[in-house]
Amino acid sequence: MNATVLNDDLMAPAVIANPHAYYHNLRNTEKIHWNERWKGWVLTGYKEVVDVLRDAEHFSSDRMGYLEAELTQEEQESIAPIFRILKYWMVFRDPPDHTVLRMLLNKLFTPVAIERYRPMVRKIVQKTLDKVIDSGKMELIHDFAYEVPMSVILELIGAPDLDRDKIKEWSEKIGVFFFIKADEPRRREIACEGINALVEYITPIIEHRREHPGIDLISLLISAEEAGQITYNDVLATCVLLIFGGHETTMNLIANGTLALMQHPEQWEMLSSNPSLLKKGVEELLRFDGSVKSTVRWAKVDWMVGDKLIKQGERLLVSLSGANRDPLQFANPDTLDITRDPNLHVAFAHGIHVCLGASLARLEVEEAFAGLVKRISCPVLQQGTALDYYPSVVHRALKVLPISFQAKI
Amino acid sequence: MAQVKIEVNHNRCVGAQLCVYFLPGVFTLNANGQSTIIDAAKADAATIIQTAEQCPQCAITITDSSTGEVLFPPADLGF
Ligand code: HEM
Ligand code: SF4
Repeated sequence: MNATVLNDDLMAPAVIANPHAYYHNLRNTEKIHWNERWKGWVLTGYKEVVDVLRDAEHFSSDRMGYLEAELTQEEQESIAPIFRILKYWMVFRDPPDHTVLRMLLNKLFTPVAIERYRPMVRKIVQKTLDKVIDSGKMELIHDFAYEVPMSVILELIGAPDLDRDKIKEWSEKIGVFFFIKADEPRRREIACEGINALVEYITPIIEHRREHPGIDLISLLISAEEAGQITYNDVLATCVLLIFGGHETTMNLIANGTLALMQHPEQWEMLSSNPSLLKKGVEELLRFDGSVKSTVRWAKVDWMVGDKLIKQGERLLVSLSGANRDPLQFANPDTLDITRDPNLHVAFAHGIHVCLGASLARLEVEEAFAGLVKRISCPVLQQGTALDYYPSVVHRALKVLPISFQAKI
Repeated sequence: MAQVKIEVNHNRCVGAQLCVYFLPGVFTLNANGQSTIIDAAKADAATIIQTAEQCPQCAITITDSSTGEVLFPPADLGF
């Protein structure tokens, strides 16, 4: 074994800066590795990752259930909002509860259903680019990547006038909970603050929609509640989940994708002269440097994965980024190739929890890059900029991406 | 509506099971956790198309068995 593998610190600066090198090393040495520091298994091989993600019968997503079991009654009460809301997030639930919510919501998120938002998204992209195009530079995340998904998700839940800056602030607080980071002692309290604020803010909106139903997502949830299919807790939690999950991941993908194309200018040019490559190109950006690096599962029973016995109750860090660069599945995995096909990456996970918002995210990112390659030349990093990522095991998130470019005429 | 042929593209199917949830008589999962057809005659064409629409990956293609016309997905969908 070499030094990188023995280093079980998933938050080490070198791992945050370049997770792909770390996961390659780990995969080459031990595809299913017991990380003593994190006290769980880390999976970096494509086959093993896919096997676990597609097997909800033996692997649970019930994060709150397992957390509850670790905490005393008192500790639980101190973070009651986390339990009150996150416990009802579909992403943390197992069948059959998950199935009910997923079948209900899926109808609104199918590729066909989402396609009708394309003109709206295109307009948002145009307007956002109009503001910065003449200056020849922008901080891509703040000035562009953030605007698009935030506007879209608010439109989708039928509340376009919500205060974005507040929502961003609260979402960031909720996000602290997922930064698997033991040295932030207040991370759960911070998340509670974010949840409380968001809940307080959207509760009157839900009640208003109950009185004045429309064709939006909140109205659909309410009618399912009134028909006894789901509970009020589900309605509230789902609103929080969609607002929270609906913008940051997409924003980060636009940023990671822009950077990847800047580092491969020939691919930028190819996309720019060949917009029909957009769909495949987005799949490759998802594979190459997706915005969600990993997710977690718990073994429901003793179960073999590859050659390792996973004991009941043990947790697994399922590395999506690791699987997406596995040479057994992807030829030349470290090469960005926007024509790659087939490209069955795991950036949205696989199995029953596969991202509900995948079609929406794809559409948004397609339109974002359609706008970028049409209107600006391949950008370069502004001088003196260092690439700095948030220290998270879950998110692949640049702090800022300041770029310069030339507007196309 | 006509008799239809159902195909699942395993280069796209991620095992989301939505097809199985919505039409368990027609779809099931194979040992790899990917969708496969049990019996295309267990539902009418319209229901099968509605189910194919639920697939997040556009992995399911429906064609008219007699004419070969693709009924789903529309040409501009998918990736
Ligand atoms: C590029 C952008 C995105 C990425 C990379 C991404 C990634 C993911 C991943 C990996 C999962 C599975 C988590 C697990 O299995 O543990 C997931 C689930 C989910 N995502 Fe996304 N997501 C993105 C955008 C969105 C958007 C725009 C929305 C909302 C509109 C959304 C809503 C959800 C929901 C509700 C789930 C839970 C689905 C379920 O449990 O059935 N995501 N996402
Ligand atoms: S819904 Fe699509 S991705 Fe899911 S199992 Fe069926 S074919 Fe596969």
